[in-house]
Amino acid sequence: MKPPSDLGKDCARSWEVMPWALQNRVSPAEDEWLTSHLTQCESCRSEFEQQSRLRMALTLPPDIPLNPDAGLRRLLARIDAPDAQETSQRARATGWITRTLVAAVLVQALGIGVLGVKLWSQNAVPVYHTLSQANPAAPVGAIHVVPDESMRLSDWNSLLHTMHLQVVGGPNDVGAYTVVSVDTSLSPRDTLQKLRTTQGIRLAEPVAAAP
Amino acid sequence: MNDADIDSDATDRMLLQRMAVGDRTALAVLYRSYYGRLSRFLARLTRRSDVIEEVVNDCFWIAWQKAGSFHGDSRVSTWIIGIAYRCGLKALRQHGDEPVEDDVLVLDRFHAHDPDEDRELRDWLAKGLNRLTADQRLVIELVYGLGHTLDDVAIIMQCPVGTVKARLFHARVKLRNTLPALAGEPVRQKESMP
Ligand SMILES: [Zn+2]
Repeated sequence: MKPPSDLGKDCARSWEVMPWALQNRVSPAEDEWLTSHLTQCESCRSEFEQQSRLRMALTLPPDIPLNPDAGLRRLLARIDAPDAQETSQRARATGWITRTLVAAVLVQALGIGVLGVKLWSQNAVPVYHTLSQANPAAPVGAIHVVPDESMRLSDWNSLLHTMHLQVVGGPNDVGAYTVVSVDTSLSPRDTLQKLRTTQGIRLAEPVAAAP
Repeated sequence: MNDADIDSDATDRMLLQRMAVGDRTALAVLYRSYYGRLSRFLARLTRRSDVIEEVVNDCFWIAWQKAGSFHGDSRVSTWIIGIAYRCGLKALRQHGDEPVEDDVLVLDRFHAHDPDEDRELRDWLAKGLNRLTADQRLVIELVYGLGHTLDDVAIIMQCPVGTVKARLFHARVKLRNTLPALAGEPVRQKESMP
């Protein structure tokens, strides 16, 4: 058998044509040329026989048991529920929305804090200020609360009543009220937790207490 | 490209356009139409059915995400098999050294239904392909199994046509040096020259 590097010009051409001739993808002229070369060249003839067998073996039906229906079901499930590792556009969009919401809440909270302090500075009448009394007027346990805009006044009043809350300030520019609990059995933290789990309350934050 | 190829490519393009706007039915049709081709291609990389399915699904996951960015520089089939090729190589790196005993048992049962002739031919092919590199096996499958042109294979493997020619040539030389000794029977006459 000739080493392929020693193939003659005709044999090299015949090698190149064989894969396509096997698939009937050469011109009739090329096919005729190959046929005549194969009748003269034993080496190429044996190569062509092997190529035919190779092609036949490669066109056998798949020999690994696979289930396209099950595969498709899993793919659709994956598309419906992209996990955290998937860097899909949908996941990125969700991340963007979350970050925007966090930023909005932060801005709102800052606004409430600043405006709340301002409000209290105007209404209350602290006589002596020291630098350490950054928020002199806020009563201990005061909470800033932002109800939903859709909340009716009657619901707001009944909420205040059942939770024993008294409005001591607000609403400010962002709709925040300052409330204090008049129920001495509840700690400010309990009141805060209760408010945060109450439907219709968008935000409940403690007012920074004076030291 | 013959008429049938042009028709099927037009269908594939239409399906991709529908996928780009979130049409799952189009995805299902394309998935079923490519499942056989992709799995036989990937079977040249791994014998594990779970890995093959994983790669097919990775490939279609990407196709689903990128359907809108397909601009038709190549045929859809070339584009999809190119994605499967890259996903397949990645999976090979991840799973290449995992045990496969379970699958061998499954395959033995599966092969029990093969006619002897086919089984012999499969064994002959497997022995030959075992001597080739992964890229050489894939070139053989792409050209003889799936019937892609050298230009298509170059797009799929993202390499120059010269590299594809070299891979095909070296694969054939290796097979030629390996297989005659393993050939148990003469080639059937119908496959010889007229
Ligand atoms: Zn010759």
